[in-house]
Formats: sequence, C-alpha cells, structure tokens
Amino acid sequence: MRFLLTFIFIFCYNNSFAHEMTPAYPKFSTSYINNVSTTKMKLFNKREEVNYYKVEVWDNDWNPVAFASTNKIIKIGYNKTMLFDVYVQTKDIKYVVYICTVSKNFKQEQKVTLVASRICSKID
Amino acid sequence: MLNKFIIISSLIFASPAFATNSPISGSVQAKCSIWTETQGVYGNPLPNKLDTLPASGGTKASIRVDIAQANFYKTRFTHPISFSSSPTLSDTITWTGSTVVGQVSVSGMSAYEAAKVVSPSNVTTFDMTLAGSTWFTVSSTALYGYNKSFPAGSYVAQIVAECIAK
Repeated sequence: MRFLLTFIFIFCYNNSFAHEMTPAYPKFSTSYINNVSTTKMKLFNKREEVNYYKVEVWDNDWNPVAFASTNKIIKIGYNKTMLFDVYVQTKDIKYVVYICTVSKNFKQEQKVTLVASRICSKID
Repeated sequence: MLNKFIIISSLIFASPAFATNSPISGSVQAKCSIWTETQGVYGNPLPNKLDTLPASGGTKASIRVDIAQANFYKTRFTHPISFSSSPTLSDTITWTGSTVVGQVSVSGMSAYEAAKVVSPSNVTTFDMTLAGSTWFTVSSTALYGYNKSFPAGSYVAQIVAECIAK
C-alpha cells in the first residue's frame, strides 16, 4: 500500500524537475583521432528552469582532467535528451574517474536558494 | 503413383523457411535522478538574518533522489557558504545549514540519517544502499556581521545536489 502511494505520488506530483545522465559506468574506446579515447554519454533534462549543463571530468581526488567535448556547456531544452562525446588523451585515461554534468542556474532576483544538480558517472 | 502424390503435395504445402534477424533491443535507463521539488526561500525574521526555516518565514529546499539500483550511488549535498548574488556586503557572514533525510519510499532508508557523513561542515554525504526514492531537506541560515542589517536587495545562494556513481 505504502509502495503504491509512493508510486502514485511520484507520478502525479508534477512540480518537480529532474536531471539524469547515463551510463553510470561508461567505458572509453579509441576514437578516430590518434592517441585520443572517447566515450558517449547521454544527458536528460527534465528541469524546466535549467537550459545549460556543464561537462566536467575529474580524477579520483576531484582534480580536473583535461578533456574535449562537442560542447563543454551543453544547451538542452526541457524534457530533451542529448548525446555528447567526451574525448580524453589516451595517456590521461588512467587518471579519469568521474565524468559529471552540472546544471547552470540563471541569476534570480529573489531571496532564494537555487539547487544545482550534478550527476557523476564513474569509469570502471 | 503414391510417391508422385506425396512429392507433389509436399511441394505445394511445404512452407518456405525464412531466415530473419531477431534483434534484442534495450535501453539503458538512468539509475540515479535528482529531482528539485521545492526551491528554498529565505525568510528575513531579523534585520541581520536570512533563514530558510518556516518559523522564520522561509521555505526549506526539498530534493528527491530516485535510485533505480541499490548500492550503486552516493549522494552529496552542499549547503551554501556564500551568496551567488547579493548586494555589496562589507562584513562577514556566519553560515549554518544542514541536510536531513525527509520522506522515504522504503522504511530501511531511515537509516541514511544516522549513517550520513558530514565533512567538511557544509557537505553531507549519504550512501544510497537501497533502491527507491528519498527526499532530502536542506536548510540554510546566514547571519550578517554583529547585529548589522543586511542591505536591501536580492540574495541568492546555491545548494549543490550530487549523485556520484560508487
């Protein structure tokens, strides 16, 4: 019963916005460029108030790792899905642990706390 | 005669065999989703205080995290220690805040609260060991200087909600 109520609540409560990214455990493969590896990620934006997400690549100690992507700031509409590639030099692959997307919020003219969402996939 | 009949009838009724591709398809679904359900709002109960507590006229932020697969993610919440936009402030601000587990879809998730790790003081990490939905409530308080009034204007601070694959 409780499960059913939770389920109904989740699907009927519309005033909420989500950020999702897959896969959770991406794998790098060789790209068409020498000494560069790539992986494909998928971003889903169900945050109506967010249109931009930043791509980040981190090592195990949360130090940034150099990478290239189609767009480091992705513009994505509400309820849209976008595929993006992350390219890392093959010599740096051993350092890459997390690939993240973080929402970019617009400045608001109120006394508010904005919520920035960040989802990180982990390289196995 | 009988042999001819068998051969002819087998030619007529034999159904041809076709080789077809039978693909197995599937899609990878997100195992962790962050849902921002309620954006926090600061109340201004005292001239030198901004507070998301309802008793202070504010609203706490509510963030739901859906986990489709147990034990694959941890979530991390960072409550603000600075304003992302505000009028010019000449004195220091003392920040406090917390992240607590609110509603849960599975009773065992109540244990997340006791097992949470707060380090550094504005970052709270939860190990998502069960599949389902968990609602987290984030509060934030800012005290300005020593009994100084906050200048008039808009104040915006940012909470960061993270889902990190383990």
